[in-house]
Amino acid sequence: MVYGIIMLCTFFMCLLFNPTSELPVVTFFGRIMVFTLIALLSLIVYYSKEELTVKAWWVRTVMHLLLLEAVLLPLAHSWGFWQSGTDILIYAGFILLAKALWHLVDYGLSAKTAVQINERIRKNRLDQRMRKD
Amino acid sequence: MKVTVEQVNQEREEELIVRCHDPSEAWVEAVRETASGQRTVCGWREDTLHRVKLSEIFYFEVVDDRSFLYTQSEVFEAKEKLYEFERLCAGSALFRCSKSMVLNAEKIDYVRPSLSGRFEAVLSNGEKVVVSRKYVSDLKRMLGV
Repeated sequence: MVYGIIMLCTFFMCLLFNPTSELPVVTFFGRIMVFTLIALLSLIVYYSKEELTVKAWWVRTVMHLLLLEAVLLPLAHSWGFWQSGTDILIYAGFILLAKALWHLVDYGLSAKTAVQINERIRKNRLDQRMRKD
Repeated sequence: MKVTVEQVNQEREEELIVRCHDPSEAWVEAVRETASGQRTVCGWREDTLHRVKLSEIFYFEVVDDRSFLYTQSEVFEAKEKLYEFERLCAGSALFRCSKSMVLNAEKIDYVRPSLSGRFEAVLSNGEKVVVSRKYVSDLKRMLGV
């Protein structure tokens, strides 16, 4: 999922800032893989021996975003994905968007699972009631 | 040991027959307790030891290295560690739901997702507990999803 979102964002970035560039396919996918690896490694921010509280989760989510911006922006600059002052804001916005999209997709999948579980709980309860009657 | 499970229709009564060499063996007792829903664990409250039925436990939680059993409205301190309690509950409706908790699936009223990728389980006594993504598959398997 992380790979897919980063690929999509990078594609749109190239389309926006450098539509005429011809990046070799291997280089393009290689760079995206590096981005993905960094994004996955940065998830260590969420590591905790104990279950995170909602507040702790939000704090770490902000920390994670800052870490992503701090690592990915200079790297993207060195690869020429952004050049000027306004570009950096748009690129930072893309990273924020990618992270938000990831959480939203994740939430959607969780919501689907929750519906399945709740349906099953209802069904099991109904079965139990019928058995008792 | 040979295990045979036969599915019967709703009209027939559910029955468990144990054919064993020694009826006093621990596993036979465990089967008996499980089948009757009477499997118990020890819990302390105000310096008094209580036997708490597994079926009455809502969840087991470890807080600051101390273990607690929560029922509908009572809290007992337990001596077991999380992994020991998890082993004790094998085969029951209790399952590990997070890093510090074992939850009774039969006490869940409903679950709802949260942005953090975890689930919030609302129990039949109104309490809310967290179910980690890592353990959701166990809950699904237990419920038959």
